[in-house]
Amino acid sequence: MNVQFKKGVLELCVLVLTSEGDRYGYELAVKISSKFEVAVGSVYPLLNRLTLEGYFSTYLKESNEGPPRKYYQLTEAGWQHMRGLIHEWSSFSTAVNEIIEEGIRP
Amino acid sequence: MMMTKHNYMSELERLLAKVPDKQRREWLFDYYSHFQQAEENGQSEHEAALELGDPRQIASELLLGYKVQRAEAEKSFGNTSKAVLATVSLGFFNIVFVLGPYVAAVGVLIALWATTLALGLAGVTTVLESTWSGMFTLTQAASIGLVCIGLGILLGVGVNALTKGFFAATIKYLKFNTKIIRGKKQ
Repeated sequence: MNVQFKKGVLELCVLVLTSEGDRYGYELAVKISSKFEVAVGSVYPLLNRLTLEGYFSTYLKESNEGPPRKYYQLTEAGWQHMRGLIHEWSSFSTAVNEIIEEGIRP
Repeated sequence: MMMTKHNYMSELERLLAKVPDKQRREWLFDYYSHFQQAEENGQSEHEAALELGDPRQIASELLLGYKVQRAEAEKSFGNTSKAVLATVSLGFFNIVFVLGPYVAAVGVLIALWATTLALGLAGVTTVLESTWSGMFTLTQAASIGLVCIGLGILLGVGVNALTKGFFAATIKYLKFNTKIIRGKKQ
């Protein structure tokens, strides 16, 4: 998949992952980069931006091993933003799928 | 070359040197704890560094978000220009299409501000001049002066609104574009 396109949907994926429960940065970075070919380090600037825009709030929590972890929690604005993106994504992918199906019909 | 945690972190720290301490420490913390957790999962420092990606790219991405945010919070010439430059340097835009029009528009704004200032100055000096030499009587000078100052104030109010609007629109445009075409370089 094309790089520009991937980075655009990264935002949506990060939001959806945190909607199931609060996640810490490392978890999100590894999860995202296992599915997409993106530098792990690029996930943190994205998390930062989404936090600055008010879609995430963060808190530190002690862990059994190593230093405390920074958790990301979806805010009310984050939920709304996510729903909007999901809606955009599904109408977009439906349109693409329709064209593909029409195209490969014998 | 083997990239160690120490190398990676000091490179990142150097690249972010211009950012206020608090913000920089917060960012570095993310990468520091990333290394820690990678280590717990049995990854070598070198592997973790490779996976994280080029520190220069990371620093640019961090700085872009930060500068756009700052410019949004305080719409000044300095902040807006920094955000424009960060966007251009990340390769989101062609210099000709963003920097060119931006510089041109700033030029027009500066010219408008100069005109405003000149009008105000002309008003004041007309009055002052009439008290020394006799080109106008004081009454004539006062009315000419008042007209000039009045025009200056009106223009100033207009130009001020225009300047603020221009900075706001620029930031909106930058945000819009950086969201759509994030990370052109690999």
